[in-house]
Parts: sequence; structure tokens; C-alpha cells
Amino acid sequence: MSPATAPTPAPAPEQDVVALLMGQHGEIRNLFDEVEQSSGDTRRDAFRRLVRMLAVHETAEEEVVHPYVKRTVDGGADIVADRLAEENAAKEALSELDGMDPEDSAFMPRLLELRIAVMEHARAEERYEFAQLRRLNDAGRLATMAKAVKAAETTAPIHPHPGTETAAKNLAVGPVAAVMDRARDAIRKVMGKDG
Amino acid sequence: MAFSPLEQRGIPLDRQLRNWRELNVTPIDPDHCDPYTRCRIITMNGIEVEAILFSHQFARHCPDPEVKRQLARTRYIEAQQQKAVNWLLPGVSSVLETTIAYEQVAVDLTAWVARSEPDAYLKQAYGFGVLEDFDHLYRYANLYEMIEHRKAESVVDGLTEVMPGRPTRMHHRHPVDNVREPYDKARTDPLSKLHALTVMSDEQQTMNFYMNVGPTYMEPIARQLYQEIGLIEEEHVTHYESLVDPGETWWEQLVNHEYNECYLYHSFMETESDPKVKAIWELHLNQELEHLHLACDLMRRHDGRDPAEILAPELPNVLTFEPNKGYLRELIAEQLDLTTLGTGYVREAHERFEAMQEALNGGEAPPSDRVMEEHHQTFGREYRMQSEGDHPVPELREKS
Repeated sequence: MSPATAPTPAPAPEQDVVALLMGQHGEIRNLFDEVEQSSGDTRRDAFRRLVRMLAVHETAEEEVVHPYVKRTVDGGADIVADRLAEENAAKEALSELDGMDPEDSAFMPRLLELRIAVMEHARAEERYEFAQLRRLNDAGRLATMAKAVKAAETTAPIHPHPGTETAAKNLAVGPVAAVMDRARDAIRKVMGKDG
Repeated sequence: MAFSPLEQRGIPLDRQLRNWRELNVTPIDPDHCDPYTRCRIITMNGIEVEAILFSHQFARHCPDPEVKRQLARTRYIEAQQQKAVNWLLPGVSSVLETTIAYEQVAVDLTAWVARSEPDAYLKQAYGFGVLEDFDHLYRYANLYEMIEHRKAESVVDGLTEVMPGRPTRMHHRHPVDNVREPYDKARTDPLSKLHALTVMSDEQQTMNFYMNVGPTYMEPIARQLYQEIGLIEEEHVTHYESLVDPGETWWEQLVNHEYNECYLYHSFMETESDPKVKAIWELHLNQELEHLHLACDLMRRHDGRDPAEILAPELPNVLTFEPNKGYLRELIAEQLDLTTLGTGYVREAHERFEAMQEALNGGEAPPSDRVMEEHHQTFGREYRMQSEGDHPVPELREKS
């Protein structure tokens, strides 16, 4: 018999940035389902939540995960460069969709393209970035990072700032950018304090 | 529609090789596909993997270099078929999603076979096994929600219910109690041979899959659950392979393999909803018809027998992926508490079973129970998808 080992519980999302972000990948996919399966105002509402979720999630990854992987993982800079290229493409598609009416006939084909891009990006993160984070085995760090992501989630606005609702303005400084700014500020506050 | 593989000719073997462009198939979209298309892909991958491994074993036992070369030629094409089929699965799917799809195959394939099986002893073997796959689906579905925050109904799409079957901890039997009695090759219905080979091949592929992907998980509970269910797949392969008559000659077995591949590609061609995937089933059927003829030639030459003696003159009803909810609920109500003793089935936990359980669990709850506990801690409930009402067994209804 081998010596008994204490059972290791699965990490809780509040204490572990990898578990938290993987959960968000699933939630993002659920939101895509919701947008696809609804119509009218229900679809508009689901799409607003999707936009917000994606904006907060991607900002968190850019502010929290990528810099750390870049610094600590061998070859991290290249891994991160690949992920940033995927994120930028997704962000452009997202901004474009954000300026469209979800009932527009051109909306759904673009949404499906975005969905595939986002899923490929998420899976690549899980395989090439999150696996590395786990390997570093720094529970304290993963907990701090989780806290920063949670902070971004709670402070980012659900509704766009007043005065930016028109389609033209949305494209210029639209809610995607606004959500990202707010999320970034919140994350930097937490990371600056503990990081 | 009657289809007689022995009377059809396919594509000549020397014209079956595909180039890289032809092998570069477009994967299915996991969020918009017919879940049963994915089930057919997983099934045929298991069948092709068995075809390849069987042919390798045959070659290792074969002293005739000419036969070895013939086997190598056909096997190379089968290896290409396996690539074309399994590469229909998309890279964006997570391992756990694919696992849930494997369990959906195990549930709806085995249930369909159990319903169609003419022999009572074999029917019992499938009915017994399917209640275990059914419980595995439920355990993995709870793990999936825990790790990926997605519900398994997004994978199985309401076609297969997700709720407890025979509890996974009860699947760990003493290995000798997993060996069944074989059918008699001379007297059994030819359909029974196809069923046994099909279910054995897919359980074998499931065993291979779990033994290889389990350690790619980082989450401790996921690693442990794959170990546990992986060991039950070992039991299932033992269970199903022992149904096959070991008195079949190598030549006869080769013919049965090729005939079964014709049967399944034909079935799936008839029932496939995705036109691109259907085109692959059709192409592969036309390749298999030729593999069957070559195998029949080998049997005539080396066994001195006519393959028509052992095969069905025409293909049986198409094997169909369809919901089996009512049938599964009946089985659950009647057979949940069965275990095996020797080659038969009993309702009470016997001494050898108890000893195995005690040695394996070491006084702790197995991973399949712990995954439920951990899920409950996070969500305050279980994940289930019971579209047809309450669980048929009152003790297994979810406690609120």
C-alpha cells in the first residue's frame, strides 16, 4: 500500500483564478445560446449581458493573466502574443456587432462567427495558458488574481454611460470600451494593493 | 430496404487511398450539430479502432507473409477511415464534453441493441451494462457543470435523460464475475454476432479514451473520476468480449468484422441528418464492401468454408440512434439492484463482491460519490435532466 494522501478538494472559484475563468468560459457559451434562442427585446437583453460578460472577461485576462504568464512562464511572451491576436480579432467583431440591431438579418451570421472565434480562444487559453498557471503551483497568487477578476465583475456597469447609446457613438467609444475601462480600473486597484 | 453486402461490389482496394486534402475533413459544430451525428462519429471511430487492432493481432499470429501483406493493405485504408471519422470531432470541444458524448453513445447504442437482441441471455447482458453507462453520464454531467459551468443538456440536447442509474460504486465487481458465457457461433442469430462486436468495440474505445485523457485533467476530482470509470470500462470490455464465441477462427472473425462495418456504415448512411457526414458514411460503405470481399476470399482459401454459412444473407434493420427513455426507465425500475455472480446475475451483494468493494474503497467514498458531494456543496443541488418525470426509484429521487 502506498502512504495515504489527504484528499485534495477541487479549487473554489473565489480562491482560484483558473477555476473562475473556466467557469466564465462556460457562462459565455451559455449566453451565446441565450442570444441565439431568443428574439426581440429578450435577445437584445441577452446580447447586452453577453457584451458585458465578454468585455469584463477579456479585460481581466489581459490585465491579470497575460502579464503574469508573460513574466513567469518560459516562452510566456509568445503564448500571450498568440492570445492577444485572438482577443483583438474577437474585440473588433464584438464592437461591430455592438453597433448592430440584434434583429438585423446580418446580425446572426456575425454572431456565429464571433462565437466560434471566442470558443477557439477560450480553449486555447485553457490548454496553453491555464495549464501553465497551474504548473506554477502558487495558490496565493491564484487567489489574488481571482479577487481582482471578481472586483472587475462587480464594478463594471451593466448599462452603457448616458449619452453613448446611439449606434455611431457606440462604435467610437461604445459600451464595450466603457465596460473595459471600468473593469481595468477595478482590477488595477486590487492588483496594486496585493500584487 | 434489403441490402446484401455479399452481392454488392465496392471501390477496388487500389483506388481507396486518400490524399491529405481528402483526409482533411471539416469538423462538426458542437453547438449546432445533431447530437446523434456526434454519436455516430464516436461509434464508427470505436469500430475502426477495433478493426485496426484486430488486424494487428491477426498479423502477429499469422505465419504466411502473403496474408500479412494483404492484411497490411486493408489495414492502412482502415487507419485512414479512422482518421477521417474521428477528425470530424471539433477541437473546440472540451474533453469532458466529448466524454459526455461517449456516454450518450454507450446509453443509446446499448439500449437500442438490448431492445433488438433476439437472444435472452445476451439481451440481459446489454440491459445490465446500459444501467451503468447511464449512471456514468450522470456523474460526468455533474463534473461538467462544476468545472465548465455548462449543463450536459447542451451536449445531449434532451434526447437522453440524465439521472442516477445503478450507482457507480456498485459497478466494482470481482474480475471473475465479469466473464459471461459466449453465444454458440453455430446456432446464434447472425444479428447477435453483430451486436456483440459493436458494443464490445465501443466499450473498448471508451476504455482507451478514458485511460488516455483522464490524466490531462488538472482538477483532482476529475482525475479521480476518470480513473474510477476507466476501471469500470475495463470490466465492461471483459463483460462484452466474453459474449463472443472464442471458437470462431481468425478468418471467420475477420469476415464478421468487415460485415459489421458494412452493416453500421449502411445503417448510418440511411439515418444521417448531416449531408457532409453522410457522404463519408457512403464512401466508407463502398470501401468496406471491398474489404468484406477480400476477407471472404481469405476465408474460402484458408478455412475452406463459404462465408455465406456464417453471415446473414441480407443486412438486418438499420441500427438507429434514437431516444430510449421509456425503455431505460423500465430497466431502471426492474434491474437496478442486479450484480453478477459467476456468469449469471443475482440481486444480493455476495461475499466476493463485498470483499472487492472493501479492498478497493479502503473505507472511503469513491470519486463517483465525492463528485456529487462537491457538486452539492457548490450548487446546493444535483444536476439532472429528467424530461419524463420523477425518477422511477423513489430512493433515488433528489432530496431537496
